[in-house]
Amino acid sequence: MRTCLTICSLVIALAPPVAAQTSVTGVRPLVFGIVFPGVPRAVPRTDAANSGQFDLRGRGGGRQVLLTFTLPTLMTGPAGATMPLAFGGNDAGFSVSQSVNNQVAFDPRAPYRPTLSNNGRGSVFLGGTANPSVGQRAGNYTGTITLTVVFF
Amino acid sequence: MHTATKVTVLALALVAAGAVTGQAQNNATVNVTAAVQQPVVVVKTRDLDFGLVFPGVNKQITLGSASAGTFAVTGQASASVNLSFVVPGNLNLGPTLLPVTWDGSWNTANAAGGTTFTPSAALTPATLSGTGGLFVFVGGTVAPIVSQAPGNYTGTVTMTVTYQ
Repeated sequence: MRTCLTICSLVIALAPPVAAQTSVTGVRPLVFGIVFPGVPRAVPRTDAANSGQFDLRGRGGGRQVLLTFTLPTLMTGPAGATMPLAFGGNDAGFSVSQSVNNQVAFDPRAPYRPTLSNNGRGSVFLGGTANPSVGQRAGNYTGTITLTVVFF
Repeated sequence: MHTATKVTVLALALVAAGAVTGQAQNNATVNVTAAVQQPVVVVKTRDLDFGLVFPGVNKQITLGSASAGTFAVTGQASASVNLSFVVPGNLNLGPTLLPVTWDGSWNTANAAGGTTFTPSAALTPATLSGTGGLFVFVGGTVAPIVSQAPGNYTGTVTMTVTYQ
């Protein structure tokens, strides 16, 4: 009986609390700021103030992760008005140093599998383009960007 | 080995294997935001009218004249815009032509004495007032020849305003 209890305790101790060891955090929204009707507004992923940012924390150094974005095609504004959004093949970047100035570009429209830093960290940056029509209704527009991360 | 112990050890092995090969999935969201400003609206407020023109005598309508053409523009306060024009080189009476040249000015107040320019397809930068208004004035000169055919000549001036 004593043996059983000991091993059971060991089982609990070894069970990997996976969720507690990994995280992805939305750090900064993607901000297009003031947009004029009929004038597209692009925010590059290297824009330190306006690009979107997610921070990743993995279970250990050098582990791969799989990044998958869920990107909106529209932003929603006043009285249900919508404004098209576009994301191009160079609009996302991954940084092992978590620096906006040191990114490897990737296409946010497709899954991407980078490797975390030696301390298990990384950041993802995202830019894009808002395309208001000439008659775009004035007001504040919002949308939601989701990043799903599988930690290996 | 006791049976209960065997089962426990097997469970331990399975869990340990999971620790090596297991995956974790997390997700997070950020917002995307934009503040769209007022659309620009252009309204013709008065036609340009050269009135009576005599053959061989040039006739000019100045920007401050009550006969000058005028446009009123509204949009986002203090925004920078570009003006562009489609202007004809002649007024028409059927196939008969009456040469015309153009003058323009823009002002944040409803008065012709603002910034002058030559209306054309080239972009003319301008700035809306603090309340989002702009007034554009169009004048010009027609140059009838001595044998100019009599009649009513017409043409169309189109102005487009876009945010910079």
